[in-house]
Amino acid sequence: MTPNLPPIAITGIGSVSPYGPLAGLIQPGPLEPAAITGWTSAGERRAFLVPPFRPAAVVPGLNTRRLDRLSAWALVASSLALKDAGIELNSIDRSRVAVVFATIFGCVELTEAFYLSAAANGWNGTDPITFPETLASAPASHVSMFHGLRGPNITVSNKYFGGESAMLQAACLLRHGQADLAIVLAGDALSRSTYAWYEEADLLSPACYNSHPVSEAEGFIPAEGVAAVVLEPSDRINLRPNARTYARISSGLWAAGGEPAEIICQKIIRQMLGGSVPSFCTAICSGNGAPCATSPTATLAHEIVGEGVAIIHPNAYAQGLAGSGALFHLILASSSARVSGPALFLGTARNNGFAAILLELS
Amino acid sequence: MTDTHKTVVVTGVGIVSPYGIGMDCLQAGMLSGQSCLVRTKDDWFPGFDGTTARVCGLPSMADASRPEFSRTDQLAVIAAQDAMASSGCDSSTFREAGIAMASTLGGLTEIDTGIAKDPGPWYRRPGGLSRAASYPFAHVADAVGNHFGIRGPRCAISVACASGAMAIALAANMLLDGAAPMFLAGGSDPLCAFTLSGFNSLQALDPNPCTPFDQNRKGTNLGEGSAVLVLETLAAATARSAKVLAVLRGWAMTNDAFHTTAPQKEGSGLADCIRLSMEMAQVSGDDIGYVNAHGTGTPLNDSAEANAYETAFRGRNRPIPVSSTKSYLGHCLGAAGAVEAAITIMAIRSGALIPTLRLTNPIESPGVDWLRGKVKRQPLPLAMSASSGFGGNNTVLIFGSGLS
Repeated sequence: MTPNLPPIAITGIGSVSPYGPLAGLIQPGPLEPAAITGWTSAGERRAFLVPPFRPAAVVPGLNTRRLDRLSAWALVASSLALKDAGIELNSIDRSRVAVVFATIFGCVELTEAFYLSAAANGWNGTDPITFPETLASAPASHVSMFHGLRGPNITVSNKYFGGESAMLQAACLLRHGQADLAIVLAGDALSRSTYAWYEEADLLSPACYNSHPVSEAEGFIPAEGVAAVVLEPSDRINLRPNARTYARISSGLWAAGGEPAEIICQKIIRQMLGGSVPSFCTAICSGNGAPCATSPTATLAHEIVGEGVAIIHPNAYAQGLAGSGALFHLILASSSARVSGPALFLGTARNNGFAAILLELS
Repeated sequence: MTDTHKTVVVTGVGIVSPYGIGMDCLQAGMLSGQSCLVRTKDDWFPGFDGTTARVCGLPSMADASRPEFSRTDQLAVIAAQDAMASSGCDSSTFREAGIAMASTLGGLTEIDTGIAKDPGPWYRRPGGLSRAASYPFAHVADAVGNHFGIRGPRCAISVACASGAMAIALAANMLLDGAAPMFLAGGSDPLCAFTLSGFNSLQALDPNPCTPFDQNRKGTNLGEGSAVLVLETLAAATARSAKVLAVLRGWAMTNDAFHTTAPQKEGSGLADCIRLSMEMAQVSGDDIGYVNAHGTGTPLNDSAEANAYETAFRGRNRPIPVSSTKSYLGHCLGAAGAVEAAITIMAIRSGALIPTLRLTNPIESPGVDWLRGKVKRQPLPLAMSASSGFGGNNTVLIFGSGLS
């Protein structure tokens, strides 16, 4: 990303998570995985689940019938983020509003449902209403349709850095003048087949099977939810009274691996900053699903930014979203540590890649 | 004066299509009017009776045949290899390159109804876990990157049938932002029962070879393939004395914000997208010599698209030449925008306006010159490729033979 351009500000936050549907920062209380009841399994299985709620009770007029839960959550999270940003859509040019969504699995619940309809009725008897809702891009499309947003509508994925990629792609649209405002969303819904995949791949934490506290657990606790943030060029915020800035994004990059993480991270930070490394107050660590206690990101952050800097460790819930968890890492870090000043948002997937975003926390 | 650091050029084009691998066989096939659409019965699932365009005889590649490489991944890897070869560079040149690859299916070809009925035993089957690993659409970007040892930023894009074109647009944005020195950008999608069944359920398939833009059109046909472009700045291409195949002069993305599957009937979203792309390219409607249309052959798409061209090219001094090359290759879904970008570049380079096949009774649209019959030969300095998709996504790319 080109340095020395007007920064992009995060002005609104919305989310649907185990904390429920919320506008603004999340007041993080103790969070333990909940027992899965959506499908049967031999013995109890646990994950970080979104408690059932009625979307229309949160966003009046919202009809989510026959949508994948991921689409429904994207609609709610985007509405809450716009509300939090104080944006009145009727007063802006909606053809200049972009939607950028990151997901790993897309609308996997309705994809399973489509397969089940094929198993029951044959491939000649599948459901025409379900089919388009299986597309990974359906949640972002619904966000544009519901809010009447006619700017670029993009769905991206990256195994490790989907959320970071979505934020940077949105910032890119704003910098290039292809949109005036962007809603960035990232998340996934947990389904039977994805949970079983984690289980068969032997990735699950013991906390998925019993009530071990999360802090002592090793392994991965799958999670679900959608986070949304509103991005705007900083100079536009002055036009709106009562606008708030959570953070400014000045630059960022992500890439695949090929070298040890500490080498590529150092290299990329030098590239972003043009050789000078500023004094960071904070390093926010994200992750790719590795256990929090053994996350290499925090160690790496110390190596890069030095001792004496506040390190915010990866959040266990956001880790459970793997490559679509970045927005939750950022929101939960901002919620839990009332810090301000220059910050480095850093994610690694060991030697499989890295992401680094330079922020100014407000 | 051209800013070479802000000019995006195409220095390689790779493609795998029902014609085979590479642009030469694609060009020979299309310029001779050869259709790849074949009618089959019970081919994809019991009861299927329709027309598809299939890629036959994929080469055996050691890594590309690994169990975690889906057919989507294999097509993408082959197209990327062809693109790199066409750029005149070996894979080491691409070590720090970025990858923007699109797909709507990801690894759906590798899984079946069993995974939904009882996933545990399905995963425990030999190769089950590896096959499932290819399911997320992000895997197609990883497949290309891992196969060639490319370690720049990777991004997969899935925006229904505009995916391949949008991957190219987003790669151009990232290139100009300095995210990587060059990009491999394109799309890949195979044929599979899931999508054939889905389009069949929507009654969007013509059982016979499709007739885009015909008043009697009855639907689309699905195809498969992959196309990948090598994008770099003109400055970088000049520095390594690369051959510039085309200049990406303009690009734009919009959304109809209208309906899950139907386009806005006046084609306003696509018309806006065309206008924005021409603004970026700093050209007028009169400058565009040819539009490679989305042209699926479905009643709703083609009429909305015709309306979009009427709106976007209003005031042009002669009708805008338009054709749909889906009449040759079918609809390659997430790959379609990239495949059609490659065809548009081929049209520019060969000076050939490619007609729509089987178009006998075109939609009445006075501002549009529906290309049919024989290939028209003429210099083509600027051409446009338009893509649209479910959910109202539109992407338009403008390619030129040279600088303004």
